[in-house]
Amino acid sequence: MYEPKTKPATLVIGIGNKGRNDDGLGWNFAAFIEQMRLPKVSIEYRYQLQIEDAYLISQYDRIFFADASHKKIEAGFEISPCNLSDQFYFSTHSQSPESILYLANALYQKCPPAFTIAIEGINWNFEYTLTETAKHNLNKAIQEFERVYY
Amino acid sequence: MSRKITIDPVTRVEGHGRVTIHLDDYGQVKESFFHIVEFRGFERFIQGHPYWEAPVFVQRLCGICPVSHHLAAAKAIDQIAGIDPKDLSPTAQKLRRLMHYGQVFQSHALHYFYLASPDLLFGLDAPADKRNIIAVANEHRDLAIKGITMRRFGQEIIKAVAGKRIHGILAVPGGVHKTITEAERDYFLDGTNIENIDTMITWTKEVIDFMKSYHEKNKKMLDEFAYFPSGHLGMVNDKGELDLYDGKLRAKDHEGNIILNDIPADLYQDYFSEAVANWSYMKFPYLKTIGRDKGWNRVGPIARLNICDSLSTPLAEKERQFYFDFYGNKMNNSTMYSHWARLIEMLHCAETLKMLLHDPDLLTGELVRHGTPRNKGIGIIEAPRGTLTHHYEVDDKGMITHCNLIVSTTHNNDAMNEAVKWVAQHVISRQGSITDSMLNQVEVAIRAYDPCLSCATQALGSMSLVVELYNHQEILIDVRTKN
Repeated sequence: MYEPKTKPATLVIGIGNKGRNDDGLGWNFAAFIEQMRLPKVSIEYRYQLQIEDAYLISQYDRIFFADASHKKIEAGFEISPCNLSDQFYFSTHSQSPESILYLANALYQKCPPAFTIAIEGINWNFEYTLTETAKHNLNKAIQEFERVYY
Repeated sequence: MSRKITIDPVTRVEGHGRVTIHLDDYGQVKESFFHIVEFRGFERFIQGHPYWEAPVFVQRLCGICPVSHHLAAAKAIDQIAGIDPKDLSPTAQKLRRLMHYGQVFQSHALHYFYLASPDLLFGLDAPADKRNIIAVANEHRDLAIKGITMRRFGQEIIKAVAGKRIHGILAVPGGVHKTITEAERDYFLDGTNIENIDTMITWTKEVIDFMKSYHEKNKKMLDEFAYFPSGHLGMVNDKGELDLYDGKLRAKDHEGNIILNDIPADLYQDYFSEAVANWSYMKFPYLKTIGRDKGWNRVGPIARLNICDSLSTPLAEKERQFYFDFYGNKMNNSTMYSHWARLIEMLHCAETLKMLLHDPDLLTGELVRHGTPRNKGIGIIEAPRGTLTHHYEVDDKGMITHCNLIVSTTHNNDAMNEAVKWVAQHVISRQGSITDSMLNQVEVAIRAYDPCLSCATQALGSMSLVVELYNHQEILIDVRTKN
C-alpha cells in the first residue's frame, strides 16, 4: 500500500469523479492503463489535485494528468505538454496540474516532463456510467497514448 | 452616499461563502453578513437508505474532513446496532481514535500551512499575489515542505487504517473491519520510508515556538483583532480532559462560567436548538436555556482549550498552560489565537498518535461487537473545526427515517458573523475608500475559524466566495469575486 522506495518511472493520475457520468473519464483512463500493467508505470486516482501531490510527482520521471474536458475538442481528446504555472486556485479543494508542477519545482527542485490528457465529455449528472460519446473519446485517447508514449 | 461591499468568494476557506457590508451616507457600517449560499441536502436524501450505509454515505459531505463524518455517523450507527461508544472493543476504539487523531493532525496542518500561514508570514495587508501557498513555497521553502510532510503523515495514517486518504472505510456497525499490520504500524515509527512520529512532534513544537515569537511581536493586534465575547463549546472526558473522539459536552460563557455541564451526547436535543435566517443556508445553533441572541457558542481549537481542564499529553498540556499564561486570562475570546490553539491541538494529536502506535491492541483483538438493535443513534465527535453531531432514526427494517446533522462550522456561524462585523466596524467603517487590505482582513477574520462551508450546508458542486458593497438605496456598487 505504501510508496515503494524505487519508483516506477511514469505516473498516470486520473482526475475526476466517477459518480458524475463523464467526469469519470480521467479515472476510467487511469484504470485502463492500470489493467495494461505497463512496465514502470504507476497509477493514482484523485477527485482533485491537492498541494501535497507536488511531493508525489517529484518522485517520478514523467507525469500524465488525465481528466475530462467540458470543452469541445475536435478529435475528442487532446494530449498536450503541461508547463509550470504559479497561478494559484483560491481554495485547497483543487489545484491545476500546472501549479502542482510549479510547487514540485519550487519545493523539491524536480520538474519532470508532464502532459495533460483532456478527454471530452458531454454529460455530468449523478450516475456512474460514461456516455457513448465519452466511451468513444476514451478509446481514442487510449489508442493514442499507447501509440505515441508506449 | 451609502454603499454595499461584497466579498465573493472568501478565499482560503473550504467552501463557498459571501460577505456583504452595508454602509450609510457617511461610510459608517450599518450591518454586515456572512452568507453561506450553498444548497443543503444530505439530511433529506439519506432518508430511506439502510442505516449501515450512513458512515460511508455521509463522508461525501466533504473531501477535507470525511473521517469526522465517517466516525460521527459510525458512533450513531453503533447505537442503532445496540452498542454504546464505551462498549466498543479496545481494538476498535483505538483504531478509530488513531484514524481520528490522524485526521485532526492533517486537517490542522492543512489549515495552518496552506491557508493561514500567508497571513502570518506576509501580513494582513500583503499584496494579493503573496496571499497563497505558492508565495510561501517561494520564500519559506523549508516551512512549506514541513507543512506538506506533516499533512501527508496524517493522511498516511488514515490510509493505513481505512485504505484510502479520502473516503476510506474503517468503521462498521459495532466496531471496525480490520486491524493494521506490524509493518504498517512500523512505517510510522521507524523513520525508514517517511519522517516518523517523533519528527512530527519535534516539528510541531518548532512551529509552536514560531507562533510564540509571532505573538510576542504582535500581541496587541492578536488580542484585539476580531475580539468579541461568546460562549465556547467542546467535549471532555470524565477527568475534564479534552477528548476529540468521545465524551460529554461542556460549554462555558466568555468569563469561564459553566453554561452546559458535561451532558451526555444523546441529550443534545434537550439543550440545543437551531435558528434559521433568510440570508443564509447555514443554520444558527444555540443553547435553549440562554436563548437565540446570546446562547450561541464558538467551537474548534479556541473553544476546546477554553472549556477543558487540561490536555492528557504532557508536551501539549505544558503548551496549553503557557498559552493561557501569555494571554493573561482563563478564557480566550480573541479570534486570532485560534492559530496558536490549533497548533497546540496538533501537538496533542501527535503525542496521542505516538501513544496509540505503541499500543499492541492496534494489531490484534476483537473487531466487532453486537447488541440489541435500537431505533435511534446519536454520535458526537470533536472534528477539526469543532463539535460535530450526527443523529439518525430508523424504522423496524433499519431504514433511515430521520437525520439531523449539526456541523462544526454551523456552530461557528454566529462567531464568523461577529468577526466580520468587528472588521467592518473597526477597519472599514468611516474610512472613505475601501482598500484591498481592508477586505482581506474580513477574510482573515473568517479564515481563523477554518470554516468548511461545504460541510455546513452539505453542499454539492463547485464552490467559491463573493464580497458585495451596497449603498443606502441597496444599489450594488462594488463586488470582489474569487473563483
